[in-house]
Amino acid sequence: MFCTVYKWLISQAADSGKPVSGFVKNHTQRCDSCREFAQLCESLKPKFAQDKHAILKNYDGMLSKRIISALPKEKAPISGRQRISRKSFARRRVLVPSLAAAFLVAAVSVSIIFIAVHRSRDMGPFGHPSELVNAASPEVLLVKAESPLETEYQELKKTLDTTTKFLRSYLDFRIGQQTE
Amino acid sequence: MDRISKVKHLSDEELALKVAAGSCSLFEELVSRYSARLFHFLRHRTETDQDIEDMVQETFLKAFRSIDRFNPEWKFSTWLYTIAGRSAISRHRSNKKMKPDPAVASSIPGPEEIVIQKQESQNIWELANQLPEKEYEALWLRYAEDMSIKEIARVTKKKPVSVRVLLYRARLNLAKRIDQSAFSKKLAGTAPAKHKLSFL
Repeated sequence: MFCTVYKWLISQAADSGKPVSGFVKNHTQRCDSCREFAQLCESLKPKFAQDKHAILKNYDGMLSKRIISALPKEKAPISGRQRISRKSFARRRVLVPSLAAAFLVAAVSVSIIFIAVHRSRDMGPFGHPSELVNAASPEVLLVKAESPLETEYQELKKTLDTTTKFLRSYLDFRIGQQTE
Repeated sequence: MDRISKVKHLSDEELALKVAAGSCSLFEELVSRYSARLFHFLRHRTETDQDIEDMVQETFLKAFRSIDRFNPEWKFSTWLYTIAGRSAISRHRSNKKMKPDPAVASSIPGPEEIVIQKQESQNIWELANQLPEKEYEALWLRYAEDMSIKEIARVTKKKPVSVRVLLYRARLNLAKRIDQSAFSKKLAGTAPAKHKLSFL
């Protein structure tokens, strides 16, 4: 019933080169199948070694000659790229993505700063101080002073419009109308 | 001591390092040491001897090209068998759609071949050759190349536990085959089989 386990332990002992434990020995004295398996495992190493020489001896050297004749006489000169060892290649494989990520982060930050600077300059109510001086009437000044609010309002309106359009096309429903 | 006997005394790893350093002619010694062994290792992978020879040649060419990458911390045989296994896999993938040659498949052995087969059947490696591919390869690496479980795991790209299981199955199947072989001999009356393992 437990012969599979015992055979596994016998096989393990053959792999590790250690003798089988006492309780496995006790079992092999009682069980023919496990005893034969243990004998087989013990005899495999010398038998395989002996027969290996026999099969290799029968083998002719034609293949060796064929391979040797097919080999290039000299090794091809190693180019700069091939010279890179495995370790440096592995290091490069780690470095390249991280460098790319760093470059991407830098590019995004620069563009954010650039946009923020330009926006604040565009949204200035009066622009250059000379414009304020040149402004003729208080109405014009009032319009200019209100313009940031107006601009913000226009921006919000645009955003709302585009969001509504997107939702309408994406969800396929019409605001204020019942879907069929 | 002449040059040839000096070369014969060098270990595989020493030879490989010398080849990597530029003594390309020493690679011939490695070829003569390993070609037959690789041939038997790759026996299960293809139908014909010609294909096996091609695979062995391909393995050596790849090894020669990338000998600079050989790490002397590992045995040369482990490295070479890893290349052989990978070459066999890639070759198998490329030939997957090709059907075996019907002339080869249906060839009937002649009287000489039958005699050779009978002689070969006395060899335990021929019995092992009837096992599934992976089991045969594990047995070859363990017993013919004397590799440790860790080294076999590296060559076959398996976990050490899987290699142990593979070897266990191989031993069980081999025991069955030996039983059958002893039984058939008993029936044929060619050898007295008092014991089930009389083969050994």
